[in-house]
Formats: sequence, C-alpha cells, structure tokens
Amino acid sequence: MALPTLPPLGLRAPRTLGPGSVSSLLKIALDVAYLILLLITGVLVLAFVAAIFLPLTGPLAGQTYIEGSGDAAREVPVTRTLILFGLGATAAYFGGFLMILRDLRAIFRTLIQGDPFQPGNVRRLRQIGLTLTVVTLGVATVQMLVPAIPNARLSELLTPLFAVMVVFVLAEVFKEGARLRSDAELTV
Amino acid sequence: MAIRIQLDRILVERRMSLTELADRVGVTLANLSILKTGKARAVRFSTLDAMCRELDCQPGDILVWEPGPQAGED
Repeated sequence: MALPTLPPLGLRAPRTLGPGSVSSLLKIALDVAYLILLLITGVLVLAFVAAIFLPLTGPLAGQTYIEGSGDAAREVPVTRTLILFGLGATAAYFGGFLMILRDLRAIFRTLIQGDPFQPGNVRRLRQIGLTLTVVTLGVATVQMLVPAIPNARLSELLTPLFAVMVVFVLAEVFKEGARLRSDAELTV
Repeated sequence: MAIRIQLDRILVERRMSLTELADRVGVTLANLSILKTGKARAVRFSTLDAMCRELDCQPGDILVWEPGPQAGED
C-alpha cells in the first residue's frame, strides 16, 4: 500500500547567500559585532596605555570604593594599579571575543567560497574553544581575586563550559568532514 | 600502496594517449593523472566500466594488488 504523500509546505531551503538568507543575516551580524568589538577593544587598549603614563587627576583622583560587605566592608582608594588591572582585564575580555569573531569570520569566508570543510577550519574551531575556555576561566579567576565583584555561581560557569564542549565537538565533526572531502576529491 | 594501477602499460599496448582516454572515458585529464600516479583513494565503478570498455580489457588488467602498506595510509 502506498503511503499518503504530504502536501508541499511551500517553504524553500535557505540558500547559502543571497537576500534574506540565514547566512547573509549572520554575515551582517558577524561584521557588525566585529566592528563594535574592534572599537571597544581599541578604546580600552588606548585607555590602558594612557593610564600608564598620564597622572591620576580629574574625577578619579582621590576617589574611593567600598570593598567587601557587612562588618568586613572597608573603604579603599582608587589607585593606578587598580585602574590598570580593571582596564587590562576588560580589554583582555573583549580581545578574547574579538579573536573568536575573527576566526568565525574566516570560517564564514570559506563557507561563502563553498569549501568550509578544510583543516584550517578545524584549527580555527579549536582555537575558538580554547579562547572561550581561557576567557571563562579568566573571568572566574578575576571574580575570585577581586572582593568587590561577587563570585561566579556554578550555573554561570556551566553555560560557557557547555559552549566550549559544543565547539570542540563541532571541530571534530569538521575534521571528519575535511577527511571525507579529501576522499571525494581523490575519487576518480 | 597495496593496489597498483598499471595504466601506462595498457596505454602503450593500445597506442592511446592519456588525453584520448580521458576524452573517451569522460573524466578530466587531471583526475586520470591522479589515478595513473597512484594518488587516487577510490575508483567509481562507472569509471572502471568506461575504462575497460575503451581499453577493451578486464579490471584486473588495470588494477594489481601487491603486498604492502594499506592504501590511504599517508
């Protein structure tokens, strides 16, 4: 007995690139995010360099902040070291995401060229996973070191660690894809 | 490589050039070169069929097995 066939849904599979496709929207998002992060990181690095050389004046001079809470709370003056640490850590945080976006854009370029399954993308995905790990652990370390910032809860750490796992699994999938592609290329 | 391709010998016997065989079989010269130099990882049955037809031979005349490391181990 023949199975009843479903009526066509009237939907078309998204094309790789073209107006309104998922890929072109992603490409725009990647480009915009990259530019914004480049700007933020650039400004932070400039501020970091300026904080090394410029004297501590203006609204920050003589400022204090409250460290700890309850009975242990005490007033701590804002020092140059503290400002450098804050600016450096924030610049590194955004720099990590900038590195990830640079890799993602490179992967996307290979997708547009129609050849995403290549060893270079395996390396890029692993690099993304590694950067995500370093950024996540870096944030957790800073949260532990600086009493003014509340410590990270386990649930806050789990999400990025899951993302790291997803990225590493994808890297392995890409590795197999690259192998299959080279096999297909050498099939006569 | 355990599987050796002996296209050279048959081509000389049939007085056929690699370009002519590529044309007749319907594969590119580049792909046939990959096969001839032993770089190929796989051969489609359709390609083997066409080669045997054009060269008037058996698959065993083109492919020879020799003891050695397995193909694709590079």
